[in-house]
Amino acid sequence: MINYLIAMATFGAIYAVLALALNVMWGMAGMVNLGIVGFYAFGAYITALLTLNAHAPIALGFLAAMIGTAMMAALVTLGLTRLRDDYLAIVTLGFAEVVRIAAENEIWLTRGTDGISGIPQPLKSTLGADFNAAYLVFCLVVLAVVLWVLERVRTSPFGRVLRAVREDAQVAAFAGKDVLRFKVKAFALGGALAGLAGALYAHYSSYIVPEIYVPLLTIYISLALTAGGIGNNWGAVIGAFVVVFFLESTRFLVGVVPWLSAEQLAALREFLIGLGLLLVLFFRPRGLMPEPLPRLVKR
Amino acid sequence: MSGICVSGCGSNTNLEKLLQLTLNGLMAGTVLAVPAIGLTMIYAVLRFVNFSIAGHMAVGAFAGYMLNAWAGLPAVVAVLGAFIAGAAVGIASDHAALRPLRGYSALTLAIASIAVNIMIESTIRFFFGGSPRDYAIPLRRDWTLGFLHVGPQQVENAIIAAIAMAILFVFLTVTTTGKAMRAVADNPMLADSKGIDPDAMARLAIGIGMGLAGIGGMLVGLDTSIDPLVGFRAILSVFAAAVVGGLGSVPGALVGGLAIGLSEELSLLALPATYKSAVGFLAILVVLTLRPRGLLGARA
Amino acid sequence: MQKRSLITRRKALLTGVGAIAAPFVITTPGFGQTGPIKLAGLVSLTGSGSPFGPNSRMAHQAVVDQVNAAGGLLGRKIEYLAEDDQTNAEAGQRAARKLIDVDKTQAIMSVWASAVGTAVLPLCWENKVVMLAISAADSLALLPHQGYFVRTQPHTELQGKEFGRVILAMGAKSAYLIMPQTPFTETVFNAIRTTVEPKGVKVQSVIIDGKKTSFKSEIDEMVRANPELFMMGGYQAENIVMAKDLFRANYKGKVIGFAYGMTPGFIDGAGKEAAEGMFACAEPAPAGGSSAYAKLKALVKKDALDTYICQAYDHANLAILAMAKGKEATGTGIKDNIRKIANNDAGVMVDNALDGLKAIGEGKEIKYSGASGPCKFSDTGNIIEVAFRTTQVKDGKLVEVKI
Repeated sequence: MINYLIAMATFGAIYAVLALALNVMWGMAGMVNLGIVGFYAFGAYITALLTLNAHAPIALGFLAAMIGTAMMAALVTLGLTRLRDDYLAIVTLGFAEVVRIAAENEIWLTRGTDGISGIPQPLKSTLGADFNAAYLVFCLVVLAVVLWVLERVRTSPFGRVLRAVREDAQVAAFAGKDVLRFKVKAFALGGALAGLAGALYAHYSSYIVPEIYVPLLTIYISLALTAGGIGNNWGAVIGAFVVVFFLESTRFLVGVVPWLSAEQLAALREFLIGLGLLLVLFFRPRGLMPEPLPRLVKR
Repeated sequence: MSGICVSGCGSNTNLEKLLQLTLNGLMAGTVLAVPAIGLTMIYAVLRFVNFSIAGHMAVGAFAGYMLNAWAGLPAVVAVLGAFIAGAAVGIASDHAALRPLRGYSALTLAIASIAVNIMIESTIRFFFGGSPRDYAIPLRRDWTLGFLHVGPQQVENAIIAAIAMAILFVFLTVTTTGKAMRAVADNPMLADSKGIDPDAMARLAIGIGMGLAGIGGMLVGLDTSIDPLVGFRAILSVFAAAVVGGLGSVPGALVGGLAIGLSEELSLLALPATYKSAVGFLAILVVLTLRPRGLLGARA
Repeated sequence: MQKRSLITRRKALLTGVGAIAAPFVITTPGFGQTGPIKLAGLVSLTGSGSPFGPNSRMAHQAVVDQVNAAGGLLGRKIEYLAEDDQTNAEAGQRAARKLIDVDKTQAIMSVWASAVGTAVLPLCWENKVVMLAISAADSLALLPHQGYFVRTQPHTELQGKEFGRVILAMGAKSAYLIMPQTPFTETVFNAIRTTVEPKGVKVQSVIIDGKKTSFKSEIDEMVRANPELFMMGGYQAENIVMAKDLFRANYKGKVIGFAYGMTPGFIDGAGKEAAEGMFACAEPAPAGGSSAYAKLKALVKKDALDTYICQAYDHANLAILAMAKGKEATGTGIKDNIRKIANNDAGVMVDNALDGLKAIGEGKEIKYSGASGPCKFSDTGNIIEVAFRTTQVKDGKLVEVKI
């Protein structure tokens, strides 16, 4: 049981980093992104290919995943920044699908739908059975650092400008802020974090495959962020853990409704995920932890 | 090429290929345009992208399935049932799940519609399971015209789609209610001051929009087979059609549907078939780069 | 002061975790060999594998019920558990965690998708749980699984070679292959090419996007090329769509496909007319007549069975008999004994768990021969000595034919 809880907490921590990444792009910079899973995949593939094919150290893989995905995100922003929210939602969704389709078909690079197995796990041979617990601690430390950095960013002048850009880009532009530059920077930061989450997953599971990166995962992460409170970093973290808890606890339904067929139970689980999302929106439309109102600067 | 050559004779020129693919693309595009118009109509009046269009396509497909395969009605009649079921579920789900959230951002509504979509698809899976099902319609051989060939079912589907769209165009341009709806879409404030009930208009737009989605789902299913994800698999193309045409523009969605249908099929000349799903996305990028509001989109 | 409150909070957290965990800890057989023996199915109830998962589960449950009704295994009841892998590697991994860590299963049976298999297999060998799989990707058996892996589905290279053999035996001079992108598409294409091209058969191949709703234009292309033989290499859902388009386009050549994609469900879906005359190939043939197959038909009350339900049935039987043989109800017990009951041609031939348990009880050596085939495994866990069979759709039914 304890191993199971450790594994789920690890998933929770990785999802939390991903939710934080989404929060930077969406919550702080105000650019809708339904394609977060594309960036997550990008980071995972970069580090997997580097550490396996080029035998790069894992630390370098992490770094490359963050930098590579940040650059990708910046590039995407440059192409998308003129679009309104509605278009953005659709285009980013499509972007993630194209990343997945490319990963499926460029077999020479990504090994296609076979996936990449045997991605090195840090210190696995030394730690043995303790690897899972140690990796959880590592993920939690990473999460804590990311959270600390983002909280600093949020209250920094950069964060305040971002908020201004989000609330009213025209006013921000009028106030002399280079809106595009701020958006690109925010997206790059979010991309770096999504890449980081991708690398965390790749080196944890040691296996990645395009089918992991389906839109459903984006929905889970959006659910985490919406549930936690868009714009609130702590909310994103708590939301991620709540989502994993929710996804997993519905498994134990089997004992509650034994008269349903397995297939019906699977459908019921999916239904409850949808219902849960809806209920959060109904009762806490700003999430469990709404974004803290910008206070007057106090230093 | 000899004129008597029919399909399967081994002739293989690029022109023939091009024409056949164009024909296939037009047929697929006509069907694609129906749910795309549904999406764009709802957007025009309510100003948010309703992702549950996929689920409503499945609702229509399965309602039509029950009428056709279980109750024995001909497919052409069952299509009406697909419209009614899509409309009814659309209005009900909107009333229960989305209406209370109006006033929040378009994005909150879009996310809520994703939740609705999950709930609809899983409900269908709960009752019908995940295996593919088929309509009780006879398989017919293609008609051949020289080197071109086309399936009777394809033609029938395209005609049904065309009739549905024609009725809609007449409704929007001739009837008072239709004109009122266009007024709301153009300027909600002004329409309000003229005594048009925006709530009633919203319901009507959703009913028609989701009804069209239902027809679209059934038409896709008639040509292939149906399962709870029948709409979801088509959704990227449907979105692409609506966006390329310009979100909120009904003629735009028709043009967009044809454009996406054509480009997906013609892409086979240049791209590996595995990249078909990516074509819609590429079309969006190209069009939006040149025209940020889509081909026929008027509003920013 | 502050430090202290931190500690209490951590303590509270641990207590909390403990409280949540308690019910599970108590139900797991931590003390001795008294609780039920756990066997689990990791099956696809949603996603592209969903046409097959419910059947696997049904077959597992039927075998377990049978054995329990006859007094159980090694004096203990068997408890069967199933989880949905959503035909997705990540979801499958989480489900496997639950089955292994919470339920303490000794075997994970009938994983269908190769990607799920690859994601879950490391968890299995690390926790000494055996995976009895359907997944066919060649790479799976090459992972360092230390023996905790066997599969009843012939790996894909074998299947490809069988297709090559069929194409040559049918005397086709040109073949056109269409398959969706899967982990084994390339392997199969290459195996077919290397088998038939030296004999002068012209081969063209296309990989399609299985997620689209229609493959009309791809089929048009094929019909234009007018090959003597068409390999329709999809799963059930894609094959239904392609078969309809073949009929509409009036294609006259021979059509062959994977048996897993040409199921009774496929014939229903595509319609008898469209499916008529098509060949289902590379299906592992039941050995020794097909008594296991017949038993399974009666057990699950179905007229015709696809190979997956047969394999799931074999997985449950094999796991139970291997445990009984070694008198050890663990994954390691299965690993160490499965070849003793599966590969031993000198043993008494049995085709179900009940007869096998009786024979083992009488001290006899046994050879389990299954519904999906003879079930013999190599050291890497691949199935060996596969006898393939070919069936053809005749009057809407799959009938065995000699090719």
